[in-house]
Amino acid sequence: MLSLLLLTVALSTPLILAAMGGFTSERGGVINIGLEGMMLMAACADALASPKFGPVGGLLIGIFAAVCISLLHWLVTQIYKIDHVISGMALNAIAAGGTNFMHLKFTDEAHKGSVPNFPTWVFYILAFVIPIVLWGYVRQTRGGLRLLAVGSDPDKARLMGVQPMRVRFFGLLATGVLTGIAGVELVAYTGVFTDNMTAGRGYIALAALILGGWRPLPALGACLAFGFFSALQVQLQGTPVFGISIPAEMWAALPYLVTIVALAGFLGKNRTPAGLGRA
Amino acid sequence: MIWRVVALISGALAILAGALLSAHVGPMEAIRTLLHGSLGSPAAIGGTLRETSPLLIAGLAVFIALRAGLFNIGVEGQLLCGAASCTYVALKIPNVAGMLLGILVGMLAGALWALPAGLIKAYRNGHEVITTIMLNNVALYLTSALVSGPLKEKGQQDTTTATVADATRLPWIYNHPPVQVNIALIVGVLAAFALAIWLKKTVAGYQLQAAGANPTAAKFAGISTARTTLLAMTVSGAIGGLAGAMQVLAYEGRFYDGFSPGYGFDALGVALLAGSNPLGVLPSSLLFGILAKGGIALQIDGVPKGITTVVLGFLILIAAVVRYRKVNTVA
Repeated sequence: MLSLLLLTVALSTPLILAAMGGFTSERGGVINIGLEGMMLMAACADALASPKFGPVGGLLIGIFAAVCISLLHWLVTQIYKIDHVISGMALNAIAAGGTNFMHLKFTDEAHKGSVPNFPTWVFYILAFVIPIVLWGYVRQTRGGLRLLAVGSDPDKARLMGVQPMRVRFFGLLATGVLTGIAGVELVAYTGVFTDNMTAGRGYIALAALILGGWRPLPALGACLAFGFFSALQVQLQGTPVFGISIPAEMWAALPYLVTIVALAGFLGKNRTPAGLGRA
Repeated sequence: MIWRVVALISGALAILAGALLSAHVGPMEAIRTLLHGSLGSPAAIGGTLRETSPLLIAGLAVFIALRAGLFNIGVEGQLLCGAASCTYVALKIPNVAGMLLGILVGMLAGALWALPAGLIKAYRNGHEVITTIMLNNVALYLTSALVSGPLKEKGQQDTTTATVADATRLPWIYNHPPVQVNIALIVGVLAAFALAIWLKKTVAGYQLQAAGANPTAAKFAGISTARTTLLAMTVSGAIGGLAGAMQVLAYEGRFYDGFSPGYGFDALGVALLAGSNPLGVLPSSLLFGILAKGGIALQIDGVPKGITTVVLGFLILIAAVVRYRKVNTVA
């Protein structure tokens, strides 16, 4: 039972961190399907840098890599004003290809398989503290309220003297930092970088954010639920439940199915930020 | 505006050149390898055309949805569903009838897989990008479960179906190895022309483009945007399914775990580069085919293939910036 609980926390942590990254971006009105790419970039950068610069250097360089991608997202969506979805797709492609290139070309064979890193409990604590901090931040502070205002109606925000472009810059900066930590956690958990190691976690985090109605604490709950189901799948390993053996793929597909049902409006009201995707 | 585009292009080129140089590969040499590997010999051209074929059809699928103002990121999933169901039919009926029926069933499966996204967009105002991403992942796990369970060939180690009989497969129209051109490519070209005529000459095609260009104006003109959304998504899904079916019957001959190396995602780039005319999909899919085939040559030369994916990503960004096309994506 305890091992199931621990596994749930372990599997939820990258989802939570990435979902919070999605939160600071999407509540500011920037659609972000590039979470996957940002995590991947951070994971790769950390795996390449930690053997040289230690865990702290690896974490910082990992975060820097994710911030580069997220600020590129800011640049093309806010300055060049291209569609947010196109940008996200392109950035995911750049990250997938770029990490493939970097880790095949630059991995130091001597350190393969043992990347020095922080113990994973550090990330677990962050995963529970950050949603609470964000929840307080967006409700209680000027910066947080501005983020919500820009995400709800960029035109009105502009009339009130709040620059959407500037607010979103800081929102996406936070997205880079949070998805960066999420990517580094993946490497800390497994000890190595492998090609496409995020394996859709960025999309699951996005799904959790949507299920949570773009609010930090419900999104945390959704991530924990998804993590619980993956943990259950790992523990059951095909053992029949009530006499039926459920294929592992069904468990894996469950988060996505639930999200589709939620998007169809069958689970509570639609809480999409009104300014999502608007200039 | 022009200096901004120049800045972006030079930035992208600088990043690519920097990556290559830091890995001790000359950029010019890499380009030469890429072009030689994709266009340098008859065999290379044959390979490029083979890579182009699925990208062309899948690109058309994304394109048609894009004309209606919809992002069908779900072509990947629709392609997988089309391929898996087509393989099932083609294995059951091992003759020409099975081939034709397989194509139809593949298209139907693709259309059905796109339908939920269309319905949710039309009647629940849920963003099609999110639903199609989710449907992609469900399709991935569903087809993976199918080939490791009920569709798996008996006594086979790998997760794959049996191979489709030769009589059921699509014929080659030019078959002098190493150069082979399959009829699937011709089907793709014809589909591009058919779509061009459909969009230009029919009421439905006109309404679809009108709804994509300006949904509010279209609504006032009496066009039901819910109906055009559903139409665009199902047609798009059917073409996506067709791409999968063609891939099975023309080249692969079977369905297996990891069937698509991301055709649906590349197709998004193909459609974005194509511009506003379906015939634009022809050159843009060829460009992606060249990059895919040339990437393999680079890989052999010791340059990881990922670099071509980075090129594609930047191409998509630059195309989007140049066209300044703001597709309506407000959820």
